[in-house]
Amino acid sequence: MSSRRSSRGAISEEEINELISKLQSLLPNARRRGSGQASTTKLLKETCSYIKSLHREVDDLSDRLSDLMSTMDHNSAGAEIIRSILRS
Amino acid sequence: MDAKGAPLPTPPSPNPSSGSASGAIDAPKPMLAFHFLRALSRVHAGPARRRTRTISRAAYSSMARAAGPRRAWSRALLRQAQARRSTTLASRRAAVLVRRRVAAGPAPPLALPRLTGRSSGSSGETSAARAPLLPPPPPAPRQAGEPARSDALRRLVPGGAGMEYCSLLEETADYVRCLRAQVQLMQGLADLFSCQ
Repeated sequence: MSSRRSSRGAISEEEINELISKLQSLLPNARRRGSGQASTTKLLKETCSYIKSLHREVDDLSDRLSDLMSTMDHNSAGAEIIRSILRS
Repeated sequence: MDAKGAPLPTPPSPNPSSGSASGAIDAPKPMLAFHFLRALSRVHAGPARRRTRTISRAAYSSMARAAGPRRAWSRALLRQAQARRSTTLASRRAAVLVRRRVAAGPAPPLALPRLTGRSSGSSGETSAARAPLLPPPPPAPRQAGEPARSDALRRLVPGGAGMEYCSLLEETADYVRCLRAQVQLMQGLADLFSCQ
């Protein structure tokens, strides 16, 4: 992103809109509401809930991984592969 | 096994400025996998209690490490991980002060579910690694056009509290991308391990 806030006091509207549309494209439901002029507030809200759901997924997966770890067979092929990766 | 292997200590060349805007430089997936797998093997070698939280923290710090210090959110995460690693009482106090000074937004569900109004410091030193971050009172929207919703976003993105609105949006995009990659990695690993 070229011109930041360095030279001018206010950040231009277009830059913000560009960033916002970039965010919008990241969201899973790329619902281009209306004329693509989705309300910023709504977009931010969706982003917040998306981030929260990702955090929850990380926690769930951590839980799952920790369970799997305790039951993991140390000598299985998969573990050996991983060990060799980390060793090389 | 070259996929994740070849030059392990040095990062495989990330795709620099591929794709559209400057913000599209992501942590390459092999680096993510490397850091996370390494952390996982340490977790596995360690005590079996509280593994979930350790793994969750390892996820965030390997995410941050893979992203490197060029992003504010990864820097904030690395600082938090650093602060947590200092386990002695004195340095933990110092770490809390550092965190306050840094005024990073409260962590992702690393430390605690966000406890509003809990003062850090003395109350936090007892519980092992749960030194709570002092949630700063949400600052007023920085810029004129900034919606009030951005406060919630600032809280979610690490390091978001002190940012300009414009940077916040950029950091959020990068953070979301890396989070997604991390989730995909963990899902793949969980599937791999459960199929053995």
